[in-house]
Amino acid sequence: MKRIYLHPIPVRIWHWIHAACITLLVISGVFIRFADYTKAIPLDQAVRFHNIVGIIVALDFILWFAYYVGTGKIKTYFPTVEELAHGAIRQIKFYSFEIFLGKPNPFHPTPENKFNPLQKTAYLNIMLLLLPIQILTGLFLLYPVKFSSIINFFGGIKVIDTIHVLLFFFFASFIIAHFYLATLGHTPLAHFKAMITGWEEEPEEHH
Amino acid sequence: MKASGKSLAFIVFGVIFLFLFSLGAFAIENSECLDCHGDPDFTVELPNGKVKSLYVNPDKFKVSVHGTNEIACTDCHSDITKLNYEKEVPHKVPVAKVNCSDCHDSEQESVEESVHSKSISPKAPECFNCHSYHYTERSAALTVDERDHKFCLRCHDPLKSHNWLPQKEFHFARVECSVCHSPEAPKFVALRFYNPITEEVIPSKKILEALGATYEDFLEKLDKNKNGKLDTEELATALAILKKKGIHAAFMGELVVDMDPSVHSITKEKAIKECSKCHSEKSSILSNVQLVLGKGDKTAETYPVSKAALTSFHVGHFYAISATRIKVIDIIGLLIVLGGIAFAGGHGTIRMLTIPLRRKNK
Repeated sequence: MKRIYLHPIPVRIWHWIHAACITLLVISGVFIRFADYTKAIPLDQAVRFHNIVGIIVALDFILWFAYYVGTGKIKTYFPTVEELAHGAIRQIKFYSFEIFLGKPNPFHPTPENKFNPLQKTAYLNIMLLLLPIQILTGLFLLYPVKFSSIINFFGGIKVIDTIHVLLFFFFASFIIAHFYLATLGHTPLAHFKAMITGWEEEPEEHH
Repeated sequence: MKASGKSLAFIVFGVIFLFLFSLGAFAIENSECLDCHGDPDFTVELPNGKVKSLYVNPDKFKVSVHGTNEIACTDCHSDITKLNYEKEVPHKVPVAKVNCSDCHDSEQESVEESVHSKSISPKAPECFNCHSYHYTERSAALTVDERDHKFCLRCHDPLKSHNWLPQKEFHFARVECSVCHSPEAPKFVALRFYNPITEEVIPSKKILEALGATYEDFLEKLDKNKNGKLDTEELATALAILKKKGIHAAFMGELVVDMDPSVHSITKEKAIKECSKCHSEKSSILSNVQLVLGKGDKTAETYPVSKAALTSFHVGHFYAISATRIKVIDIIGLLIVLGGIAFAGGHGTIRMLTIPLRRKNK
């Protein structure tokens, strides 16, 4: 076994705050969106809770962004043309077929390049597009009077809410898929351990 | 006996007739009052040395609720029954306090139930504190912002309290105070033609001109399926016609109370605090939707709108969380979540089924 220090402590702290908050946002989001059917938590409390956790996520995002841009590690999130053209296909082939045969993962993470081309594409979109949109639409819904001109520009509060809700469903779906994909390490718990200790275990290459 | 009964009736009617005639002959005309009170400089010095204006702006009074209903000054100031021009002040002073309930008895009944009537504070308002003395206006055409500024916000700052209520500012912007604070008053969702760029309600005159309609035939012209109310598609058609005529309009919704005497029963303790009164698909408040076209005199024509319009994108500037959500979005969302589950479940199942295969390959 080879041990690689993949997740420095700021990243791990950020990741777990983020994971807890997104989960709480999805749960409280259900209580807000479907208040008619979820009377266990009153709507006003669900909204207040959702607002507080939402602000934590927004601040957490700023920390993440500052850390990754400040350290230059943000490069990790951008796939190269080669990675998009070949690496991604290689990775799709692995996940949809080879993994079942027990073939090794064609991608080997290093501290400088820790995401495979599929992860890069997914996380780039999530972290620099979808999450910022979710934070911004959340901010508009939190202060609809202050942001009325922006809300109106996009077609009204219902449009903003629709974007926020569609992304809420996306993030709910993402949590499930992300959790499952995290079991695809060399053992089902390997990736979970790595996100706690920082050290990822990689099987040695056999030549 | 019969003849005397008739003559008695004759005498009675004669007396009544003479009485009414004399009333007419001696009734004080508004113009007589305005001879003095119509002068902007007409003031009196009070015993405490303060100068009080006794001026009544004739033009403003004329367009007020009482002015347009041709109410005479002495209908309210009923203690002034005759004018004696021999005296410096031709009527008795000070005049008695006007008793609004002489005419507005149901409003009076309602206001007696209110926190304003029950309050022992010297600041507790009387009718004229909210409705003004001589220039009482109609309010049906006013938006929530205009209504609240005209009444409640003159004394109250709602932001100082209501800490239990999430999204305070937004609620105050779109829900009239009395919607919650007059629980018994009839209320509805008021839709208006709104310019999202200027954030202003578009004048009804402009809307009617562009649609080629009048207040009277507005509903008839738009209600293509003749079900007596405006449906989502009919509202969309109206917006499309306006767009063709260069008017960028959208529908904005607000929660307001109806002009009903019961709105005066303002309460603090019994105010609506349950979110579900509005934030529910079954909300009776949200099931009453009216398109409001205001008039110059601040009255308004209202036209019934189908409840379903609130759950469409055509009414983009109104959203009551949970209650008016668009159901198609939930179906799409369910598919997105099911997609995640199917991916994880499917991939995981194949992984488990292929365990023997991987053992063999090792």
